[in-house]
Amino acid sequence: MTSLMDHPSRGETIGYSFSQPTAAPVKEHSFYPYTDNGGSTLGITGSDFAILAGDTRSTSGYNINSRMVPKVFKIGGDDETGEGAHILLSVVGFAADGNALKERLDTVVKMYKYQHGKSMSVGACAQRLSTILYQKRFFPYYVHAILAGLDEEGKGALYSYDPVGSYEREQCRAAGAASSLIMPFLDNQVNFKNQYIPGSGEGHALEPKKAEPLPQETVKQLVRDAFTSAVERHIEVGDHLQVMIITKDGVEEVYHPLKKD
Amino acid sequence: MANPFDINGGACVAMVGKDCVAIACDLRLGMQSLTVSNNFPKIFNYAPSTYLGLTGLATDVNTVSDLFRYKVNMYRLREERHIAPQTLANLVSSSLYEKRFGPFFISPVIAGINHTSGKPFICGFDSIGCIDLAKDFIVSGTASDQLFGTCEGLWEPDLSPEDLFETISQALLSGVDRDALSGWGAQVYIIEKDKVTQRLLKGRQD
Amino acid sequence: MDKLVAQYSRPSHQNEFYSEQEQQDLSESTPPLSLKFNLPPVDNSSAFLRAMTDDHSNPSCPIKLAHGTTTLSFRFQGGIIVCTDSRATAGNWIASQTVKKVIPVSRLSRGEDKPTNEPTPGLLGTMAGGAADCQYWLRYLSQQCTLHEIRHKRRITVAAASKILANLTYAYKGYGLSMGTMLAGMTPQEGPALYYIDSDGTRLPGNLFCVGSGQTFAYGVLDAEYRYDLTEREALDLGRRAILAAMHRDAYSGGFINLYHVKEEGWVHHGFDDMNPIFWKTKLDHGEFSNVTSEL
Repeated sequence: MTSLMDHPSRGETIGYSFSQPTAAPVKEHSFYPYTDNGGSTLGITGSDFAILAGDTRSTSGYNINSRMVPKVFKIGGDDETGEGAHILLSVVGFAADGNALKERLDTVVKMYKYQHGKSMSVGACAQRLSTILYQKRFFPYYVHAILAGLDEEGKGALYSYDPVGSYEREQCRAAGAASSLIMPFLDNQVNFKNQYIPGSGEGHALEPKKAEPLPQETVKQLVRDAFTSAVERHIEVGDHLQVMIITKDGVEEVYHPLKKD
Repeated sequence: MANPFDINGGACVAMVGKDCVAIACDLRLGMQSLTVSNNFPKIFNYAPSTYLGLTGLATDVNTVSDLFRYKVNMYRLREERHIAPQTLANLVSSSLYEKRFGPFFISPVIAGINHTSGKPFICGFDSIGCIDLAKDFIVSGTASDQLFGTCEGLWEPDLSPEDLFETISQALLSGVDRDALSGWGAQVYIIEKDKVTQRLLKGRQD
Repeated sequence: MDKLVAQYSRPSHQNEFYSEQEQQDLSESTPPLSLKFNLPPVDNSSAFLRAMTDDHSNPSCPIKLAHGTTTLSFRFQGGIIVCTDSRATAGNWIASQTVKKVIPVSRLSRGEDKPTNEPTPGLLGTMAGGAADCQYWLRYLSQQCTLHEIRHKRRITVAAASKILANLTYAYKGYGLSMGTMLAGMTPQEGPALYYIDSDGTRLPGNLFCVGSGQTFAYGVLDAEYRYDLTEREALDLGRRAILAAMHRDAYSGGFINLYHVKEEGWVHHGFDDMNPIFWKTKLDHGEFSNVTSEL
């Protein structure tokens, strides 16, 4: 279909050769406030503990900014060292947003304690983190957050988030650059996906293996295996592995070396 | 426009064991989100112990598999012997580079045992024929990230044929279960010196 | 639109530190489940958001949000069936296989969400589109419904609840929200009531809805077998079967089948079951899905 009205007006392009284009359209510089700082995090829960781990490399593009930028934080501690914290938060994505988010959640958890005279439960903290993320629905925090702690029954609790605050309680979750490498491995080794009980039947009668909470030592080993594997195949992951384990006795923090290439 | 490598979906993986190799693929053929077929094997046989896996755009998978059937048949008639996996690798490489500026949208994988040396051989390619030689495993397809993770986590050196079958099956099934565009069942070949075992795996149907 | 955005946005450099409002937000113990949102300091905030988060128009967008779903809901003589899958995808990556896409709404139904035969009073909402949008706004709706209950000493009607949500999505039209939700409930005034609400501001009452990337597959099964006078057993099976079909054919649907039944006394949860054993049982026992080979 043709229409004369659709022809763009040529009036502006015809002019003298020496005429300067006047009134150039006001251009807004493309607003790109995010950097992907790479790295990966991982959380697994057991019957009486939760583990949150992350590598400590910080990248931008192909450059390594630092080999020691921890991604796992204690939330609601009594002082700067995080002593007395009962909730852990890991953030991966854009480190500046991650830091801002951590500071905000830490403040909220502390204010809760000062106002109510008791610690915030992990469930409440999880919901609060969701609303904090959603407050920036139209200008999101560029982070994948994982929150860990112990629930009212003393069981390990793990909550994972998308950048705008949808959340879910899970047994295990990997986030960040190497999440696509780690997560299927975890499905297989933690939740026993695709594993069957040998000799339980033939063909279609074969029974799938049921997932159950793993002992702490097994989980620690799985976390280290997951990261050594990820380091081999992902350039944004490496340097050190920071592991935080939360039990009823408090938070234990350990660092392991990873490949630095 | 969508990435041609991701339109139809599919995954393929090859692994080395002790005096054996394995190659496995999923069975899905889709058009973006719609699953059209769940019986589309992506592994093709060119000699008694030489296999080629092709993932990527399905039309190119068909074209290229037929092209190599023709080329390998001509090779066999001229040379009066079966093609070795190394030879096939070089044939694939040069044939793909002929289309340097209008490539096939595929990522091939080769697995086989060389009959003169008796040694296992696997390799992968990019779409224009760069050979990627590996001593452990090769992955390709829409689930390649996931397969890198599972293979790196599960694989170990010198696996027996039975253990290699278990490892490659677990790696493939767990890998494709985290990819929307591949899965719907799988096929595995375990290649030993003078025996090839083909098995069909029951995978998730979503 | 731009005027509206300009009204709510301010240059970020004006506040080097936390503003008074922000300080108050931080110190208040109740979370601001409110309508104050942080906007980027640009003229056109929805274009910015689209560039950052919409992987359909920009496949290399930095922030991938969870999408992809099949949800269905239909009215029949015994109430309403609500059934969903449980998959969340970000591009081709399956982010989760265990999403709870049926969200109980209103205060009385806040209890434990475990499979039980005791009906729980309240409404049900379903989740399709942006996971965070649905979770947040259904929680907001829940708050409003509870307030309604306190103010009026009776439960809110489904019509009123759906209108709250529709007004809300209409007010945010163009901002980039993404949700397609169904509200199901039974009240003495209305009987079984079902509404479809989406982020365009649409609000439709109806007998039968399917929402999400797998909706066409679910409609195919549902339209063939649906009657208003289905028995409860038949209705539950039909809901499950329709979702199963969608999970099988749609790459972005799958995981677990989440099944609910809304009755006069409230809703009943009929399980959150892995689709794979159900699929093979359906295939092997009833000879359906003959396209899939079972020769192992």
